[in-house]
Amino acid sequence: MGACLMALRTAMAAAPIVSATLEPQQISVGQSAELTITTLGAELEPVSLPVVAGLQFRIVSQFRRTETINRGTLTTTSVVVRVTPKAAGTFTIPGVAPKSQPLVLRVAADTGAPVPGSPSAGAPPPQGSAPGAATSGIHLSADGSAFVQLIIAKQDFYVGQIVPVQIELGFRPGYVTALNGPLALTGNEFTLNKLSPQAERSVRNIDGKQFGVLTWHSVLAPVRPGKFPLSIEIPLTVRISTRPQRESLLDDLLGDPFMQNHFGATISKDIKVTSPPAELAVQPLPALDRPAGFSGAVGTFKIASELATRSAAVGDPLTLRLHVTGSGNFDRVDSNMLEHLDGWKSYPPTSVFKPSDATGDKGEKTFEQPLIATKPGAQNLPEVAFSYFDPAIRRYETVHTEPLTVQIVPAAADRVAAPPAQPHAEAVPAAIPTTAQLRLRPDHPAAGAAVNSLVPLFLRPAFLAVPTSLALLFAGAWFGVRGRVTRAHASGQDPVMHVLGEIEAASRAGDAALFFTLAREAVSGIDERLGSGSEEARELAALIEEAKYSLDMPSCEEVVRWTQLVQRRLRDGRNS
Amino acid sequence: MRRLLLTATLLGLVLGASHVGAEAQTGYTAASLYNLGNSFARAGRPGLAVLNYERARLLAPDDADIEANLRAVREAARLPNDPPGWFRHALTAADAVAIAWLGVIGVLLFGGGLLATRLRWGHRAMGGAAVVVGGALIGLTCANVMLLWPKLHEAVVLTQATPARVSPVPMGETLFVLPEAETVRMTARHEGFVLIRTRTGRAGWVANADLAAVIPGN
Repeated sequence: MGACLMALRTAMAAAPIVSATLEPQQISVGQSAELTITTLGAELEPVSLPVVAGLQFRIVSQFRRTETINRGTLTTTSVVVRVTPKAAGTFTIPGVAPKSQPLVLRVAADTGAPVPGSPSAGAPPPQGSAPGAATSGIHLSADGSAFVQLIIAKQDFYVGQIVPVQIELGFRPGYVTALNGPLALTGNEFTLNKLSPQAERSVRNIDGKQFGVLTWHSVLAPVRPGKFPLSIEIPLTVRISTRPQRESLLDDLLGDPFMQNHFGATISKDIKVTSPPAELAVQPLPALDRPAGFSGAVGTFKIASELATRSAAVGDPLTLRLHVTGSGNFDRVDSNMLEHLDGWKSYPPTSVFKPSDATGDKGEKTFEQPLIATKPGAQNLPEVAFSYFDPAIRRYETVHTEPLTVQIVPAAADRVAAPPAQPHAEAVPAAIPTTAQLRLRPDHPAAGAAVNSLVPLFLRPAFLAVPTSLALLFAGAWFGVRGRVTRAHASGQDPVMHVLGEIEAASRAGDAALFFTLAREAVSGIDERLGSGSEEARELAALIEEAKYSLDMPSCEEVVRWTQLVQRRLRDGRNS
Repeated sequence: MRRLLLTATLLGLVLGASHVGAEAQTGYTAASLYNLGNSFARAGRPGLAVLNYERARLLAPDDADIEANLRAVREAARLPNDPPGWFRHALTAADAVAIAWLGVIGVLLFGGGLLATRLRWGHRAMGGAAVVVGGALIGLTCANVMLLWPKLHEAVVLTQATPARVSPVPMGETLFVLPEAETVRMTARHEGFVLIRTRTGRAGWVANADLAAVIPGN
């Protein structure tokens, strides 16, 4: 592209120039005009661009035109140069062709709005709408690059009432480059409090154009009654294209401002975008039936009270908590709680607010009041009252907590009949005896092992690891052994069943000696482990001795009896 | 299995003992704390004297000199000395370190006895005896821990006429005044103040600077 333009400049230098026109001849800062230089011939001849202080010249296009006149052809070549002023004023562009008249460009100061009749506007306004007009219910800025909306749920409210509002800033990506300052209300009748620190981001399509939308949540508080228009103003920096309006179609096709920058110059401009004014009516709080303890709280609230303990000793500090929950102007929620109680000494309460939403409209305010019982026995703490104005029902409300009963016992010092102490004093001693009066045992020689810490050994992690590891080790071994036995049972490897199988095999084979030998081993092993000898075991031992020297197999009944005995003893041993 | 258990047990005991032995190079000794207590007592600082005696008593609970001087200083400060019961004395008079290790041995005997019975190692009666003895040692250690537990939250008042306030702020109203050398129980903390409870049951907020925990760091 650069090489092509250089060739163009060289070619134009020597060509016969037919005409040079400037349109429009009156623009404002931020816009541009077009200088069209027409030369004869199909070939591009080099032409020198004029140099004027305060004006920038840039070749943007060229085209060739061929006309047939009386069977003859006339070919002209035109070069379009964009002229962009850097400041307001009247500029004279010297004649491009020899003996041609100079051209005059008048540049007005920036007004933030397009110059009437100028083909060179800023960014292209949305199609089908004039700049600044309402489009889809949204009022765009003059250059069509941004909009601000103040969304309020209701139009009439009371002084002091907190009204949640939503502020939307819409901007065309790439056109708006910076947010230059805080959001500001027009007028002093309202305050904008607790703007959410982070804006929510979204994208909205407005008449076929993509707008990024930043949404803030806040609360609006009217400070005096009356009817007031309210709007919000946001300072922005926008990037304005200096391309002629007729080329705006290309802008729309390209869409991406980065691409547009390759085809046309842009300048930055600071603007203020203002939302359409909303007419709001603020009513004063009614003076009729205003409760005595009303502190200015407007909203909807609930209250509850609690005591950390329901029993204490005389002189012990207790903390009474009052919880106020709901929605409204929590900065005006206040309570003196309990004052001048019989049997109690009370102190001024303190409060802490914990919001449950970003704007602080909803949440819980907790009041804490130290109380000290001065008399023993069942002491009553009366109900705590709280008054507020409820805008939903348009009247004052007073809510009460439940009364509380606390069991107060005498101070321990009084219970043990200690010598009477001074009021508010805990046994202040008399004078400390002098050194001579103290009969101390003598010092010890420096000896013994030193320790780095006085923390008991059982609380030190390094030591605790030892018994813990041991306990885990034993627990693991216990469960390991248990699992092994269970698996042996499951796989039929039960040693009891194995011994019984061998005994039955000996019985079936008619081997009396083997039968009695196996039976004796099994039974004597169990008896030895259990530390008990039975009559049957001794009888079995005698029979075995006899069977050793006898060739006869015992009778069937005897086999059954001794097999059952062995089975029973083996199972006893296993279960023990 | 038997070898594995023995090896792991011995390794644990050696590591634990080496840790305890490793720290016994510098730091507190019962004698140095006792002597420090004597020095403060002679200098007329009963709070610091009682603090050091209490700390010395943690390391040498059966030392009669520490006990005697602690009682002398407390009596001189007009503070009551309540004699401990025989059970408490028996449990706290023993060296806490030795009792802690007895607890470890108890775990060994208890677990080993149970396992031996299950695996039928040796005589059944020996396994049962090991379980019983191990359980008794564990119980002894637990009782000692329970009796020492309050010491973790004890503090000694270091300054004369220390105000106990109604709330944890310097300008809070004074509920009562604590004498120097009084031993109190710490129950809560809040921004430079400690909620204390005296032996007579009274409670109030005392500035951190006016107290010292018997066990540093608590």
